[in-house]
Amino acid sequence: MDGQLSAPTQATSLFDQTVIPGDIIVDLPSVANLRVGSGLRQDCFELLAMKVGTLRYKKPNKYWLESSHKRYDPSVEDTILGIVVGRNSENFLVDIKSSSLALLPVVAFEGGTKKNIPKLEIGSLLYVRVVKANHGTNPELSCTDASGKAAQFGPLKEGYMFDSSTGLARMLLSTPTCPVLQAFDLQRFKIVIGLNGRIWVNASTPSMVVLISNAIMASEFLSASQQANMVKELTDQLQTRCSRTVGFITVNSKSAVVNSTS
Amino acid sequence: MEQRLANTWHMTINEKKFIESALSKNIRVDGRSPVDYRQLTIKFGREDGSSEVQLGETHVIGLVSGQIVQPYRDRPNEGTLAIFTEFSPMADPAFEPGRPGEFAIELGRLIDRGLRESRAVDMESLCIVAGKSVWAIRVDLHILDNGGNLIDTANIAALAALLTYRKPECTLGGENGQDVVVHDPEVREPLPLIIHHMPVAVTFAFFNEGDAMVIDPTHKEEAIMGGRMTATLNSNGDVCAVQKAGGDGVSLSVITHCLRLAALKAVDITSKIKNAVDSYNTARALRKVKRHNALVAPDITVPDSVMKGNQIGQLAEHQAQKFKEESTKTFDTETVVGIPKETVLFNKKNINFIRKDSDSFIGGPSNWDPYSQSIPPTFVRSSQIFPGSSTVDHKKEARTMLIESNSEETKSNNASSGLSRTSSMSQQRTTPKSLKDAVKPKSERKNRPSPASAAN
Repeated sequence: MDGQLSAPTQATSLFDQTVIPGDIIVDLPSVANLRVGSGLRQDCFELLAMKVGTLRYKKPNKYWLESSHKRYDPSVEDTILGIVVGRNSENFLVDIKSSSLALLPVVAFEGGTKKNIPKLEIGSLLYVRVVKANHGTNPELSCTDASGKAAQFGPLKEGYMFDSSTGLARMLLSTPTCPVLQAFDLQRFKIVIGLNGRIWVNASTPSMVVLISNAIMASEFLSASQQANMVKELTDQLQTRCSRTVGFITVNSKSAVVNSTS
Repeated sequence: MEQRLANTWHMTINEKKFIESALSKNIRVDGRSPVDYRQLTIKFGREDGSSEVQLGETHVIGLVSGQIVQPYRDRPNEGTLAIFTEFSPMADPAFEPGRPGEFAIELGRLIDRGLRESRAVDMESLCIVAGKSVWAIRVDLHILDNGGNLIDTANIAALAALLTYRKPECTLGGENGQDVVVHDPEVREPLPLIIHHMPVAVTFAFFNEGDAMVIDPTHKEEAIMGGRMTATLNSNGDVCAVQKAGGDGVSLSVITHCLRLAALKAVDITSKIKNAVDSYNTARALRKVKRHNALVAPDITVPDSVMKGNQIGQLAEHQAQKFKEESTKTFDTETVVGIPKETVLFNKKNINFIRKDSDSFIGGPSNWDPYSQSIPPTFVRSSQIFPGSSTVDHKKEARTMLIESNSEETKSNNASSGLSRTSSMSQQRTTPKSLKDAVKPKSERKNRPSPASAAN
């Protein structure tokens, strides 16, 4: 296996590098109390990469892989957007863009008991937190934070949702604020970003929502200045055509075409 | 059951409500106006009759093939046209492999009706022997990605493929003159189908109980729409087909409005298809020409003032015989006999050409022969070790390449494939060049009837 070529002593050179599945990351006995994040798997004394991605390390003992995919691999403490697709007596069945449906206990809400189960229709969009994510079993979700408070989790009303890759969602959540979101600073809008690649936007007018969603979808592979320019172009076009029923010109970049999601 | 739920695509209530409310204000989610099409890209494959069409995210491939069959009893002098659709599961999680679903059948039927009922494809020209042999044209449409509006995309793919398809030329031959002889595309140029006009499908989606209407719906819009209507028109404004299968009812005024819009869109799409097909045909013709030049290339790079005339002679011969195929046939019979005779014949022919053309060509070769002045004649004479002029060697060279590359070809294919292989081999040989490379030793020279090299 190619992974054996990367000797443990060279592990530090792999930090912030792209690794491929099978690469051995670090020799474990040297590190105690290891925290393994997404994309990595602990195999006896080796940490193996399971995906293609960039290896990240946070002292003293946290390792994880950053990668961008269209599908989502659930990992604990991620905040994601799920769609209710069914219900049984104990759980809501929620689709989270993963290989299996996730289970949201009907009591996993602030002050939730068997008597006051919230009425969630099929097709409701929820902002939830991943509580359990083991390979082989259905992931478990919760609409409360660790202390039991609602903390903005729960169903989202109105607005518009669209799909993107997990990498774009992470980019939008990064600090400092992503340029494409910053360019809209003057406008007032609400946005909820799920780490599973789902993004919800709401604004005062539908045209604003359409503008923001298209700008975000087009921004994945653009640089900061390109993003700012693109947003400026789109807002200008919107203003010149606000009363006419003519659409936007599609952003002239290959990335926009490649990255637009259905 | 749970696995099926996990793998299907789900739409949220939020999206549904938002798209409907935005449409009531004539705003579409991707920023288009309600009457705009998405970006249309038409590409073609290497073979004739294969097209690849992308309309936004929707991706369809069209393939046309032909077969000779017996005609239907009630139409003995007409060919047949059949449309087959394949909804690949990779296009949409809702597509199941195996039996075509209801929509797959509707799509195939719609495209078939647009082409057949309007007589867009000329059926009588597909007849070879009335009552016995006709061409059965088959159009296969493969859906690769469902981004919404499969009908329009598949229709464009079918049209583009039909316009670029070439059927092999057939003649009647055999003992009783009733057998159909299908000529190889290398021997006789295949013929395009006769298409009278282009029926273009334009799909409309209705929302909010007929209040809002959009053209070219996306996947999300299709999931919410109340009803759908497809109008197939050509650029003349003739209505070839209209299909509205269930869904919300719409008033007559809306339908006439849609038909008028469809007429405008049909003109636009027809011109796009025509442009794409024209550029494909130009590229195809250029491909044919390039092969021809490559054959002449090795001759050109071997310079000789004496050979000048021979080369011109050869070039003239190539061009002359390209147009006169009958003369090659007679040449063929002449060279069938044996080795020495053929050599003699070749020699004679070349000498005749040399004499003829060195008289008529004065400044010709220096335009395309860069080495004509730089190589001394002594160098050239060393290459003329064997009897006969070097042009004979070149011809034999062409034939030896022929022979080396294809020893088992059938007679009818020999010339044609030899032509293409010679060209490919000569293309490969252009890089390491020397006079000695150009001349094959006598032992390796074999003589065979080669109308191909003569046909050059």
